[in-house]
Amino acid sequence: MEALALDILTTAAILFVVSTGLMIILGVMKLINFAHGAFLTTGGYIAYLVGAAGLNPWLAVPAAAVLGFLAGLVIERTIIRPLYHRPLDAILATWGLGIVIGQVFALTFGRGVQFAPSPILGTIDVFGNEYSGYRLAMLAVAIVLAVALSALLSFTRFGLNARAVIANEPLARGLGIDSANVRSITFGLGAGLACAAGALITPLLSVDPNMGLPWLVNSFMLVMISGVSFPSLLVASLLLGGSQVLVSTYISPILGGMTIVVLAALILRLKPKGFSRA
Amino acid sequence: MKIRTLLLGIGLSVGASAYAAEPIKIGIPVGLSGAASVVAPSAVQASELAVEEINSQGGVLGRQLRLEIADDGSGAQGAQRAYDSLVFQRKVDVIVTSQNTAARNAGLPIVNRGRVPLIYTSFYEGRSCSPWMYINAWVPEQQVAPVVDHFMTEYEAKKFFLIGSDYAFGRGMLQYTREYVESKGGSVVGEAYLPMDGSDWTAIISQLRSANPDALITSTAGGAPNVTLTRQLRAAGISIPYGYYALDEGTAKSMGDNAEGIYIVASYLSSLETDANKAFLEAIEKKFGSSAETPNELSVPQYEAIYAYAAAVEKAGSTDSAAVIQALGEVTVEGPRGSVIMNKQRHASLNMYLGRVAADGSVQLVKSFPKVDPGEQCPQFANK
Repeated sequence: MEALALDILTTAAILFVVSTGLMIILGVMKLINFAHGAFLTTGGYIAYLVGAAGLNPWLAVPAAAVLGFLAGLVIERTIIRPLYHRPLDAILATWGLGIVIGQVFALTFGRGVQFAPSPILGTIDVFGNEYSGYRLAMLAVAIVLAVALSALLSFTRFGLNARAVIANEPLARGLGIDSANVRSITFGLGAGLACAAGALITPLLSVDPNMGLPWLVNSFMLVMISGVSFPSLLVASLLLGGSQVLVSTYISPILGGMTIVVLAALILRLKPKGFSRA
Repeated sequence: MKIRTLLLGIGLSVGASAYAAEPIKIGIPVGLSGAASVVAPSAVQASELAVEEINSQGGVLGRQLRLEIADDGSGAQGAQRAYDSLVFQRKVDVIVTSQNTAARNAGLPIVNRGRVPLIYTSFYEGRSCSPWMYINAWVPEQQVAPVVDHFMTEYEAKKFFLIGSDYAFGRGMLQYTREYVESKGGSVVGEAYLPMDGSDWTAIISQLRSANPDALITSTAGGAPNVTLTRQLRAAGISIPYGYYALDEGTAKSMGDNAEGIYIVASYLSSLETDANKAFLEAIEKKFGSSAETPNELSVPQYEAIYAYAAAVEKAGSTDSAAVIQALGEVTVEGPRGSVIMNKQRHASLNMYLGRVAADGSVQLVKSFPKVDPGEQCPQFANK
């Protein structure tokens, strides 16, 4: 029973960590970033490179965050900004960008699977259960991330500006907020979060040019039903991740793989605006 | 009039001599793109080597061999296009392939229509029978017993847990394993599957834990699922005896210490200490140099299958499909895997090797099982 609870909590934690980058970009920029999966993959390859260079595996996460942030700034300036007033084209552009990034990895590293070392090996004893140490670490990471991002939005100048842009962009611009700057930093932040998340999930998985794709689908569903709010993203991760674990455990892991998508569709049918905007 | 007849005669004789020198075409549908592109280059290299060696000794019936390679995109749809093009446009004399079963099954009807012999060189879940097909790779009957027997005698394992990817090979292998374990007095305490692209094994690992088995046997799709399952098992601290049907030497090597202790069963290991294997490894190294791919369980049968076809054409005295099909069941190939003859209901008895992955990712030979019989595969071809 404790093992089941731990499975649910850690699965939710991983989903949350993977989805934050997508959500923050959707919130501020009203843009569904379909390159999110490719950003996750980028983080995975950074973790692989850090491991291959023999560095401490923990270094992969800050390295991925920083590189992702910088790449995000460049991408926003060159690809996203010219398409601000063509939102559908912007979404298509991120989709294409995702494909290009994936192909670049395929050409550079080949289509085969690569490995990144895990910073935490073995298990930890929790209430008499041996449980994967790394999954428990992901739980801690998710909590820290939720607190830090909420604080960023609530207590900083950037957060205030971002919330103003989320609420009403023309009005915020009228009040002298440089919304282009907010958008640019947001995209960098979203890309940085996605890369860091990719580096974080890699020790449990393997790295290949398409590793981000299934995660893109799940985070998309989560963000759709949670709306733009970190607490409701946490709730959505717990609810959907928990259902996935329960279905996998008691019914069939094959159905478990579809749970998030099916449940998200049902929730959107009953509550078209998701959780936070209901 | 005379001049015309003369010209016609010259034309005919030129045509005839061109016909005599016409190469024998060997069609290779292979996944140059898509999931199988990881292993495809090794199969192509092995085929090129076989053709080069045979040609340098004068070819077959005085004709040279030529490879016709077609990309199948690693899937059934691409396979149909590849087979169509090979059989009806490029008019190959034989098809030799190590595709996955789904892709090969998509091609079989085309082979039947075009009446072209097909030699299948990939291990698979067994019991595929076609009048135009021979198979020189292993089936569950040859793969399952060595690892299950070893676990039962060496580790006194009684309770087995089975994990697979949800597709024909995954389910077929584990179903046979379940029957075999139960026939030997053991029990299967759990059997779980994830879709082929699934990577989250959390729930299955928890089930495994609560079932508390003595040994674990897995049969997942090659590539990423091999790796994610092993990593998550290791992260969860699972250390019971662990047998893996779909793990190849190359993947084991790249997984390093994660793969340590895993048992694999194969009809070919690159570390085999036979003269034929050493010569083969040297030849691959010499021909391809730094771009040489490590030979494996898919590429070596491909190499041997081309020799088998060459021998069958020699024996039949022509490339006539029916005659070649007849001869394929009668010729023996001495290759890196030992001597192989496809005379067991279109399948072959094979030397099987139980290996254990060492800490550096290399595979150490634990035990060998000479001439393991494929059992009842295609009884309708028993006497053909």
